[in-house]
Formats: sequence, structure tokens, C-alpha cells
Amino acid sequence: MAGATIERDAELMLRVREGDTQSFAVLLEKYRGPVIHFLQRMILNQAVAEELAQEVFLRVYRSRANYEPTAKFTTWLFRIASHLALNHIRDGRYERNQESLDEEVREGMGRQVASLGPTVEQSLVRESKFVEIRQAIQNLPAKQRAAVLMHKYEEMEYSQIAAALECSESAVKSLLFRAYEGLRAKLAHLAG
Amino acid sequence: MNPNTMSCPLRSGNADVLLSYCAHMLDEERTELLERHVAVCAECFALAEQQKSVWTALDNWEPEPISAGFDAALFARIAAEERPSAWERWTAPVRQWLSGDIGWKPALSMGVACLTLVVGIYLQNPARPDVAAPTVKIEAQELEQAERALEDMEMLRQLEPSAETEEDKRL
Repeated sequence: MAGATIERDAELMLRVREGDTQSFAVLLEKYRGPVIHFLQRMILNQAVAEELAQEVFLRVYRSRANYEPTAKFTTWLFRIASHLALNHIRDGRYERNQESLDEEVREGMGRQVASLGPTVEQSLVRESKFVEIRQAIQNLPAKQRAAVLMHKYEEMEYSQIAAALECSESAVKSLLFRAYEGLRAKLAHLAG
Repeated sequence: MNPNTMSCPLRSGNADVLLSYCAHMLDEERTELLERHVAVCAECFALAEQQKSVWTALDNWEPEPISAGFDAALFARIAAEERPSAWERWTAPVRQWLSGDIGWKPALSMGVACLTLVVGIYLQNPARPDVAAPTVKIEAQELEQAERALEDMEMLRQLEPSAETEEDKRL
């Protein structure tokens, strides 16, 4: 994430603080996808992920009056998102939902596969890969999962992940090493 | 230490460097150094290959599309939060005054108006605590008189049968 981008985000947020809702719309447009996708992969439920993402942006908007650009905007944003996701998982709502949602996720996956128009065999291979990846991520402890998702999909640096998860940088390195160790054992054969 | 080589990240407890290398997050100089090391270190080579495989596998996980009404729902929630509640609407003038948005003059006028109203109501219906007392006294006297009358009537009734008996005897 480039420095210029960070400055731009903070600048937009400062404008939101001054009452410019258009700037909030710009930030929403930019980070809607990353936040929802992060939550989708954390919670493994599209509807709940969107509900939590609404809460993330609502909290950003509510905090506008007190916003100070002390940290990078994305770090702050993902701190809120991971906090909500970890709370959701800790409260057990995640576990209760999983069984009924497995089917829903597979249906969604089926739609993705169908839209690409591959052969039946390719679809089945892709589907099988998807289930394995999802299962491997699901089996990670929640904090390791959050660290991997921010590292892999959001390309966040260790320091940013540490700030988002409110732990030390060395703790993040340790979290990631253990998480990838588990994933290497389960997913290394899926490459290609 | 040879500047063209580096110590083994796995043996020196810096495995995170290998993770960053596989995630293409190292700068050019460090990437070159690590590539040279990986080429001669079997352990690091194996880990890097497996990590790259995981990286590629994770690339296959495409997110689901976002609901079309996401933004509209969010802005509706924001609008609902910004709409003042009935309590807020009613207490707005007081809160404004307390926060100093309204000066002392209107508050003073309001105070004088309230005081005038209270005085007016008092003058229209002044409290008369001594008015009720005579009524109570009168009621007490009436009760005493009624009791005495009843006693007299009782006495008369007791006298009447004996008078009758005397007359009967004479007959």
C-alpha cells in the first residue's frame, strides 16, 4: 500500500469529519470489496459478512468526529473488521451457523464455477479445491486465520497486521508461521 | 559475512523472511540475496516451494459477489441514526441552552414568563387552609345534638310502656 494512498485515505476521512459525506462514499467505494471479502473468508457466510461489514462502515462513520490520522486508515479499518469478526466467532454464532451455511457456500461456489464455463471435470476439480482450501482456512484458529487473510489477500505488512490485531509484530510473525505451516501440510498439493 | 550471501532464515529464526519472499513482499536486493540462498539450501528450497504452492492454491479462492443493495442499506442505517429521536427533539432547546448555543436573554424571558404564570395561578386559586376548620366544628356540634336527641327519644320510649301499664291497671 503506497504512502500516497494512505495520505489520500486519511485526507478523505478528515473531510468526512468536516461533514463531507461524498468523501465517505469514496472510501466506501474503495474499501467495500476488501472489507466484505475479508469478512466472507473469516466468517464463511456471505449474509453475515455483509452485515458485519455494514457495522464496520457504520462505526467508521460514527467515529468521524474523533478521527485523527495517527494510524493508517486501512489498519484502523481492518482493526474494526477483525475485532467484529473475532467477536462473532468467539460468541459461538459462527459455529452454530456453519452447518447450515455449508450448503449455501457450495451453492455460491457452484454459481462461480458455472459462470466460468469450464467442462464438468474442470468444475469438479475446482469445486474440490475450493472445499479443501475453505476447510483448511476454517480449521485455523481465528487469530491465525485473520492474520493469513490480511497477509495474503490484503497484502498488509506485519506491522499493520499487528496493529489491526492489537498484538506485537513478533506475535504476528509467529501466528503466520504456524498458520502457513498448517496450510502447507494441507494445501501444498493443490498448486497449479 | 559475505555480502553476496545471507544466513539461513530457518536456522536463524527468521522464517518470516521466507514468507515475505514467497509473497513477493521483499525489495529487489533482499529477493536476490534470498534467491541465492534458496538455491543452495535444501531446507529453505523445500519450504519456499511448498509456500508458493499454498500461495497459488489460495489464489483460487475467489470471493462471492457483493449484494447490489449494500450501499443503499448502509446509507439508510446512517440516515436512521442521524434522525433525532422524539426525546432528542423535545429536549433540543434545553440541550442547546446548556451547550451555550442559546444566550441568557431567551432563558431569562422564559423564566420570567413561567414565574408570572405561577403567580397568576396562585392569585386565581389561593390556598385557604383556615376555611375548612369551622365546617369541621359545625359538623361536630351537629353530631353531638343528634346524639342527645337520640338519647332523649330512647328515654321517652322507656317511659311509655310503664305509663301504659298504669292505665291498664286502672281499667
